[in-house]
Amino acid sequence: MTAPQRLTFEGNPDRRPQDNHRDSPKQPEPYVVSPELKKAVNLAIYLRRPLLLEGDAGCGKTRLASAVAYELGLPLYRWDVRSSTKAQDGLYEYDAILRLHDVEVQRTQAVQIGQKAKTTKSQVEEGATPERRHPGDPKHYRTFGPLGKAFGLRDRPAVVLIDEIDKADLDFPNDLLTVLDEPWEFTIRETGETVAADEHCKPIVIITSNKEKGNLPAPFLRRCLYHYVDFPNDPEQLKGIIERHYQIRQAASPPVKLVDTAVARFLSVWNEGGLFKKPGTSEFLDWLRALHEFEPKPYNAAQLKKDQILPYRELLFKLQQDWKHAAKVSVKAS
Amino acid sequence: MSTFDPEEAVLRAFLRLRSSGFQLGVGEYMVALKAVEGGFGEDLEALAETLKLLWCHSLGEQSHFDPIWQAIQAQVSAQKRRKPPFPNPKRLQATTQEQTQEQRETDVVPSREVRPERQPEPQLSALPVQAPYILTGDEERSSPQAYYPISRRSMVYNWRYLRRPIADGPCDVLDLAATIRRVTRQGFYLAPVYGRRERNNAHLLLLLDQNGSMTPFHHFTRDLVETAQQEGSLKPENVRVVYFQNVPAVSVFQDPYLTEPTPLSAVLSGCDSGTSVLIVSDAGAARGYRTRERVRGTARFLYQLKRYTDLIAWLNPMSAKRWVGSSAEIIANAVPMFQMDNGGLSNAIDVVRGQSFKHFYSSS
Repeated sequence: MTAPQRLTFEGNPDRRPQDNHRDSPKQPEPYVVSPELKKAVNLAIYLRRPLLLEGDAGCGKTRLASAVAYELGLPLYRWDVRSSTKAQDGLYEYDAILRLHDVEVQRTQAVQIGQKAKTTKSQVEEGATPERRHPGDPKHYRTFGPLGKAFGLRDRPAVVLIDEIDKADLDFPNDLLTVLDEPWEFTIRETGETVAADEHCKPIVIITSNKEKGNLPAPFLRRCLYHYVDFPNDPEQLKGIIERHYQIRQAASPPVKLVDTAVARFLSVWNEGGLFKKPGTSEFLDWLRALHEFEPKPYNAAQLKKDQILPYRELLFKLQQDWKHAAKVSVKAS
Repeated sequence: MSTFDPEEAVLRAFLRLRSSGFQLGVGEYMVALKAVEGGFGEDLEALAETLKLLWCHSLGEQSHFDPIWQAIQAQVSAQKRRKPPFPNPKRLQATTQEQTQEQRETDVVPSREVRPERQPEPQLSALPVQAPYILTGDEERSSPQAYYPISRRSMVYNWRYLRRPIADGPCDVLDLAATIRRVTRQGFYLAPVYGRRERNNAHLLLLLDQNGSMTPFHHFTRDLVETAQQEGSLKPENVRVVYFQNVPAVSVFQDPYLTEPTPLSAVLSGCDSGTSVLIVSDAGAARGYRTRERVRGTARFLYQLKRYTDLIAWLNPMSAKRWVGSSAEIIANAVPMFQMDNGGLSNAIDVVRGQSFKHFYSSS
């Protein structure tokens, strides 16, 4: 019914196949995936619907895509959305100026360049070198974007990460929708080509949103699977994440006592409330690393327990109010 | 668990969620069935997770889903419990010995252990009428938060249509087509052709009724102001917002708390024939009053306003049904009045940008 062998994501980097794609991430991703998220990813892969991830900053929305791509050996194409991004940018870009330039250059440097190009025309794909470009062929002047590349794959699907979709213009999600739906194809106006994804290699799309600017349009949401990535508010879960990180970095993990104390202190700050911007998982990991490695000797766990003001708090609190609040609370607690 | 029919549960959940206000279509139903086919709904819990992923698109919806799902779950399991006597006549013939054996089995089989925990729900659902669940569902829907005739997003969207582009910005936009055209005409390339940057030159005056009967709608008026000033394509300096209570009098106010008065004539003198004016007020429809003073005061104000600009529209947060019999009905005949929903705002913006509007309120 679907692809010959069904792809499943288990959250285990060791499952990476031997014949991985050259655009697949080279480094394993230290990612601890919750059962719910695992299911969401597998459902998204099975149905080939975009997976929309929401959650606070620094809780691992973006990292998931590379974890999936690494484990399955699939190419990862990342598309960072900016406020000026148009949906077409993800498909292809067409460089009309370069073509114009080549016409001029060719005229001054005699015609041989173009003749040379004609012989190698068949092999010319994107990223053609100047000698191979021929202004007579518009195909030499288009480059594919992340989605465009994913559509071109024939042997395996690609993971496409559309990062921070909420930053884009209002129309962006709707425009995207027309591409990420049957019949999974788009047309390049300048060359007249139609690029269609293979039946079994439709891209696996992971979209992240910070919800900075209101909601996404309803028709877009209807197409998506929705998962809210929560902060791992549980000592055991956090310790699992730490363990995975140090295991993959192949570095000596901090002493158990320090980890325990750091987790306890961090979670107490996190759960106490009153913070305007709660620190995320990534900030916690940075903080732990600072405690562990910044000084020649790891920070003393007993000292950390006693400290009224957290050491390296510049890594955790990024707003003036939070910074002050943290100082006040720790004084009160003593 | 062998009696569990995921497709039936999906259908049940689909109908139930739809009637609870979830925006689901046949497409969503089909995709859920496909997921079940793919093995994403072996038991009730797995199915619930799958449906949550597919059908809930915000944290709010997910939390809304849980109680509804519990009701469905109770229904499904209640049916399961009731079923055995009917389709399995063999069971009926079973001796009491077997029954005792079964009882012993229930102690061993882990899947049945859940039974005592769930007991309170089946008890409720065993009643022929599911009244309690329906009641809770309705209660949640009628909460004031659910009153969302127009979303912030559609406000932003609609404001974008209010534009008068004027190319008077810096001359730095590359005009590709013109460049290529010039090259082909000249036969050689000299320099790229630049055009001027476009700027939205639409002016907007927002007149907002504040306090009194408008208090419940402050949320919308605040959103309207914020979206117009910050998120639309309008230049913030071209958006003027003034507030009044009930009827714009000789002086209006510059802040939503009605503390900084400013003469109306000064506000109006800033208008020219290209200024779009949008008035937001219930015009007496919220309380259903029909007061002559209000109508007269409003008419006087509109007469004054029309000397400056014709691009006037009125947004009424009450639905058009409620205008009948109140002062709003009379005022709606003097100025294009629209109820404040997506279509209404869109029509109002069409009016204030000088386009003919699609429909116009009349009491007939």
